[in-house]
Amino acid sequence: MDGPDVGWYLIVAAILFGIGSLGVMLRRSPLIVLLSLEIMLNAGSLTLIAFARQQGSLDGQVFALAVMAVAAAEVAIGLGLIVAMARREMPLDVDRASTLRG
Amino acid sequence: MAVGGWICLLAPLAGALLITLAGGRISRRTAGWISTLSTFVAFGGAVTAFFATWAASPDEREHLSTAYTWLAAGDFEVGFQILVDPLSTVMMLVVSGVGGLIVWYSMGYMGGDDEERRYFAYMSLFVFSMLMLVEAGNFLLLLVGWGLVGLASYLLIGFWHKRPEAVAAAKKAFVVNALGDATFVLGAVLLIWETGTLEYFGVFERVDGLSSTTVNLVALGLLGGAVAKSAQIPLHTWLPDAMEGPTPVSALIHAATMVTAGVYLLVRAHPIFEAAPDIQHLAAILGAVTLLVAGAVALVQWDIKRVIAYSTMSQIGYMFMAAGIGAYGYAIFHLMTHAFFKALLFLAAGVVIHHLADEQDIRRMGGLKDALPRTHIAFLVGTLALVGIPPFAGFWSKDGIISSALATGGALGWTLYVASLAGVLLTGAYAFRLYFAVFRGPPPEHAQEAHGHGEGPRSMLVPVGFLTLLSTIGGLVVIPGVWHPFTDWIGETAEALVEPTTAQDYLTSAIAVALGLVGAGFAHRAFRDRRQLVTSPGAWRVLEHKVYFDELYDALFYRPAVALSNALRSDVEEPIVERSMEEIGSGTIQVGGGVGRLQSGLLRSYALAIAFAVVVLVVVFVAVR
Repeated sequence: MDGPDVGWYLIVAAILFGIGSLGVMLRRSPLIVLLSLEIMLNAGSLTLIAFARQQGSLDGQVFALAVMAVAAAEVAIGLGLIVAMARREMPLDVDRASTLRG
Repeated sequence: MAVGGWICLLAPLAGALLITLAGGRISRRTAGWISTLSTFVAFGGAVTAFFATWAASPDEREHLSTAYTWLAAGDFEVGFQILVDPLSTVMMLVVSGVGGLIVWYSMGYMGGDDEERRYFAYMSLFVFSMLMLVEAGNFLLLLVGWGLVGLASYLLIGFWHKRPEAVAAAKKAFVVNALGDATFVLGAVLLIWETGTLEYFGVFERVDGLSSTTVNLVALGLLGGAVAKSAQIPLHTWLPDAMEGPTPVSALIHAATMVTAGVYLLVRAHPIFEAAPDIQHLAAILGAVTLLVAGAVALVQWDIKRVIAYSTMSQIGYMFMAAGIGAYGYAIFHLMTHAFFKALLFLAAGVVIHHLADEQDIRRMGGLKDALPRTHIAFLVGTLALVGIPPFAGFWSKDGIISSALATGGALGWTLYVASLAGVLLTGAYAFRLYFAVFRGPPPEHAQEAHGHGEGPRSMLVPVGFLTLLSTIGGLVVIPGVWHPFTDWIGETAEALVEPTTAQDYLTSAIAVALGLVGAGFAHRAFRDRRQLVTSPGAWRVLEHKVYFDELYDALFYRPAVALSNALRSDVEEPIVERSMEEIGSGTIQVGGGVGRLQSGLLRSYALAIAFAVVVLVVVFVAVR
């Protein structure tokens, strides 16, 4: 099989996942948080595809396609929420959107 | 013959339903007629069933008719079935015949009461329940009737629900009867357990194969039910209080029919009792004790109805004694004649009470002979029949029982013989004390103003007339040495264990009549000298307190129960149950407050927590592997 070993793909996926999760945890802008979530999802998809190639099976690829579809839907909702917040002139800061705290 | 039985059973039920469903759309009088006529239709059914049974050949006189399978559980099945045989036809005739007369009488007695329709619906329900009891083809249906008559009795004792005494008496009757019902049920359950059936014939066939402990326990359970229902010592305390109900109710339920159900049970289940002779003798002894105690208490009571109530207990004591020594024919014979003359006494007392505007205290009665001439004759006939003066009904049946005790012999037989003769003396004394106090002598100075009813409407007098006739000639179906079709008839269902000889019969009759007259003589002397029958103040006090049974039960059951409940309330309910509720509530609020603080609303800290948890899980999984 051509191309790099599966280990390299996993390393790239791990780096992506780390960047994404740090983004979710550190950034305050909901837009960036959403973006970071997408990066984490893609890291997951990448591992699925990498393993699918290693196993010579198409299951992982199909999964990745499904994840992309779900991610698209999720982004649509998330962006819709952010637009709604912006329209109401609410601060675009996840730390200040804490009305539901106990 | 079963058709007559079914008509007899279902007509009063139809009457009760009709009155209930029609509600306010029918007049009170119509309700009375529906109830009366439905009971007489039942009587017609009973007559049909009786003659059909009579016409059948002697070995085909038991007819079991099953409508449908009422209850099935595995192999155990109980049908909705009635048994038409010599015993049940006699009971059907007594219940529907006397019942019809009393319901008819009620139309006059209850006339003008606000809730007459409810009264007649209850009366029809009672007649149905009682017929169910006597016609049932198995113990379970018998128990259904048993419970329903208890319910009807409760409803009718408490009919005047605005009187606290009536409500209390109704509750007392229900509770005491529930005790008997419980032992009855236990006996029935034991029967299912051991024989797998509740059908009379199935049980009676298998009763020989049971261990003596089982048979004794079953018999004891049934006896408990019989004792409670028939107001025998020690479960008799409810009957005198039950006189709070309307007088026709006292006549029908608490004299003529329901309270004799225990006797019917003893006779119906005689194979079980014969297999447990100790328990059967216990029934006889309880009967003897009851007939003496109740007869003595009746000597000092002031309430006209209570005197008759104690007399009822006493007479049922005779029936228990008869059933206990195996003189089944005489037990049922006395049940029948007692139904006639006791219903007569109650209904005549009802006329007196009606005439005196609800006065029941015999100290405020007297000299009513001229005001109520026809009632006077009726009451006198009832009294003579009760005391057992020939040729009135009570003479034939009661002397049969006493001479059966003589025929039994042995220590038991002689004890019962002496006790029952002493009972006759007491009967003569209390019955004539009542008669003299009510009808003879001058009216007392502070006499209750008669409210001009006279002797009441015809609907009251005609039933009294019929019952007078029955009390006079109703006993002639058994004449010792001449003929005894009645006891033979009952003997087909329950063959007597003892048969007194003609000589014993006539000897006993001579003694009993003499003792009854002596008792009457005592009553007359006391009346003439204007003193009480019981002159010893100590004995008077004991009897006036009804031999302290109520006080005993009060101290034995009621007060400990109240003390226990109070202790449980102050030591368990309040400190443990109530406080723990408060603690559980406040604890939940506190925990909620603490957990709520975790929900900070900071999205990033949630993410951090999730990430941290994932890291911990990964480390744990790696380490554990």
